[in-house]
This record gives sequence, C-alpha cells and structure tokens, in this order.
Amino acid sequence: MLTRRLVVCLDVKGGRVVKGVQFEGLRDVGDPVELARRYEAEGADELTFLDISASAEERDTLWELVRRTAEQLFIPLAVGGGVRTVDDVGRALRAGADKVSINSAAVANPALLTACAERFGAQCVVASIDAKRDGDRWRVYTHGGRRPTDLDAVAWARECVARGAGEVLLTSIDRDGARTGYDLALTRAVSEAVDVPVIASGGAGSAAHVRDAFQEGGADAALVAGILHDGLTTVGAIKALLREGGLHIRSLA
Amino acid sequence: MRVTLFDYGAGNLHSLAKALATVPGAEVRAQEDPLRALDTDVLVLPGVGAFGAAVARLAPGREAMRAALEQGLPCLGICLGMQLLFDGSDEGAGAGLGYFAGRVTRLAAKRVPEIGWNQVEDERTLAGARLDTVYYAHSFVCRAADASVVMGWTTHEADRFPAAVRRGRVVGVQFHPEKSSTAGVRFVQAFLREVAP
Repeated sequence: MLTRRLVVCLDVKGGRVVKGVQFEGLRDVGDPVELARRYEAEGADELTFLDISASAEERDTLWELVRRTAEQLFIPLAVGGGVRTVDDVGRALRAGADKVSINSAAVANPALLTACAERFGAQCVVASIDAKRDGDRWRVYTHGGRRPTDLDAVAWARECVARGAGEVLLTSIDRDGARTGYDLALTRAVSEAVDVPVIASGGAGSAAHVRDAFQEGGADAALVAGILHDGLTTVGAIKALLREGGLHIRSLA
Repeated sequence: MRVTLFDYGAGNLHSLAKALATVPGAEVRAQEDPLRALDTDVLVLPGVGAFGAAVARLAPGREAMRAALEQGLPCLGICLGMQLLFDGSDEGAGAGLGYFAGRVTRLAAKRVPEIGWNQVEDERTLAGARLDTVYYAHSFVCRAADASVVMGWTTHEADRFPAAVRRGRVVGVQFHPEKSSTAGVRFVQAFLREVAP
C-alpha cells in the first residue's frame, strides 16, 4: 500500500530560498541545497522547488541549482514555476529533477501535457492547478493566481489527467498562506474525480491540518512550506500526528 | 572499481551516480555505447524512459551484454533497467536482455503510474541492507517466470509484483534506491560491496 506523502516546498529565486513578507519584500532564508538535505534528514518524502524568478537571468540559475541539489538529495525532487515548453521539461529532468509541474502553460496549451508525457513518461508530469472558490464550484486561475480562466477546477483536473499528467498539485488560492487549513472540499472533489495522486496545497497551519487533508480531503500527498520554514512545527511532529491518526506513512529507517 | 552507467538517453543520472560514488574506490562514469559500457567492473542500467526506445539503443550490444552477465559481470538494473533484464515488454517492441525469464506488463491497478513510497515484503536481496519502504514511479512490472529469483514483493492495490530479483551477480529492482533516502543509498552501497567485489 502506498504511504501518504509529506512534500516540502521551497520558494527559490536566483538560486536562493526566499520568503515573501506580506506580499512585498522577499527575504533570503538560506541555501536550497542545505535546506533540502535537512528536510530529507527530518523525514520529508519529497521536495519541491517553486521558482519565482522574475527574469531570465535569475531563471538560468535554477538548472544549476537543481543539478547541485540532485547530487546530494536522495528523495524525489520536483520543480515548478515558469515551465513553458517540452524543452524546459527536458532541461529540468536532465539537470536532475524527477518531476516537473506545469501550470499556466498547460492552460494556454493543454497539448503540452501530452507531449511531455509521451516524451518523458506520465510519472514526471505534474499538472499544477491553482483554484479559487466561486459559488459552489472552484475556478482555475493562472499566472500565480492573478488571472482568472473559464475553467472549472474539477473538470480541468480530469482533463489534465486524460492528457497525460501523472499527478495533480492542487493549490487553494483562498487558503494559500492563510494557515487556516487546506480547502478540504476542493481536495476531496478533485481526489474523487481523478485516478492519479493528488497533492493538497495551500493553507497548512498545523500538523492537524495535514492529517485532515488526508483523512477528510482524501489527498495522497500534502504540501507544506511556511509552517516548517518558520519553525512552527517539524516534519517529525507532523508525521507523529499522522501515525497516531492511523495513517500509513513512511518512518525514518 | 569501475562502475559504468549505461546511458541510453534517459536523463537524470545525477542522484544515482552520486549514490554509487559514496562507496570508496568506486569510479563512476556514464557510457552511451552499449558495447563500450561492458568494459567495466560493474554495469548499472538506470531507470527512466520507455522500453521500446531503450532496447533500440541497447540492440547493438544486446548479445554481448547478455553474454557478459551470464559470465558473471555484476549488474544492477533499476526500474526500466530491471525491465530490460527480462524477455520483452508490453510497453514497446523489441527484445530485452532475457537474463530473467518473463515478460513486462502493465500494473493491474486503477492508479497507474504508481507514484510514491511503498513497502517491500520479505526483502532479502542483500545481506547488508534490508529494505522496508522505498520509492516507486512506474507503470509496468516484471512478471518473473521463475519465482525463485524474486527477492522481495510489493503490492499496489491488488497487484503483487516483484520489487527485486536476483540471479548470480545480477540484481534488478523495480523501485528507485537512489530516491529512497538513506535506506536506498545503503542498498546501493551494499550491492557494490557484496555483489561486485
């Protein structure tokens, strides 16, 4: 039986880990390779780099960063942010990423998912979906949650999988950074709609929220960031609570 | 000890190369030519890509590679690399190495590909590294014709498949030891220490 996964996300820019402060300044919080290794040692099941670089110069440092990380990290590494083409995906994989998440570019050109899955395999293609509640459904947004689309999140998740995505990274825009818990209704709706793993994202404020994403949201994996980086909890503490809740998770050897 | 990764264009070899290089004395290199890849002390068949494309790259060296394995060249096949050690695959045309008898077929499960950490039951491939929970990312599995070569099993939904096979100095694993954290790296190290010397 597959374990539920705890995925740690690091925002990177210009080859460093950064943290947004009230959506204004960005603060440098450390070396990505060091942080990645620390989270692996603490028991993280997977690591994600979300590249928030604004310029091409900054983005070029991403591949070098992925290469340095892959040489020292022995858990799966996913990369997302600004991936536009099949060549971008190929570059990320050659640099050492195991998976690549595609967001705005998939909405603009859904065939990109198919092209990547055919060339590199579905296991490395992650459809990243940013969704915001809109009445009794959820609307898909692109461009870092700034641009609304006409797509319904559940229907779009289904289409992404039909087109070749091997996983869905599902972020609630409403909950992102709010630390009030994952959007469980959204997570459940998408988990029930697709046959590939769903990674719940956005809203983790405590270990109990992560447990809820699994038990009530039906997620296969949960993404955490700020609460770990800020020291509010640890990978070990989250996993201890998951274990108490009867969830099947990976223990440290 | 020369350790050669047969690079059939699959991409990410960094973590695997680094895991192998943690063993003192291991000189790790990648080789795209299947015949030249046999000029080594240990052969590693890495694991990302599609079966059809991989066996096409392997074809010019297929007979020589099979003969080298039969004569005792230590070999570790990972994921697709394990599948290449079998006769053939439903994923793509072309002959595998046929070192292990059996065919590669699609996972009989609702959730395919299987992506994530899963347990290995009764794992006994190597004496120095027992495995428990390991990382998988695959859609196909090896149906070994001879169950005695299977050194551990994993179950995804209702499909129980070989997690590891071994005959002589040739080991195949369906999971990714280089992505299975400390326990996986220990497995790679134990392979080089126990099987290869």
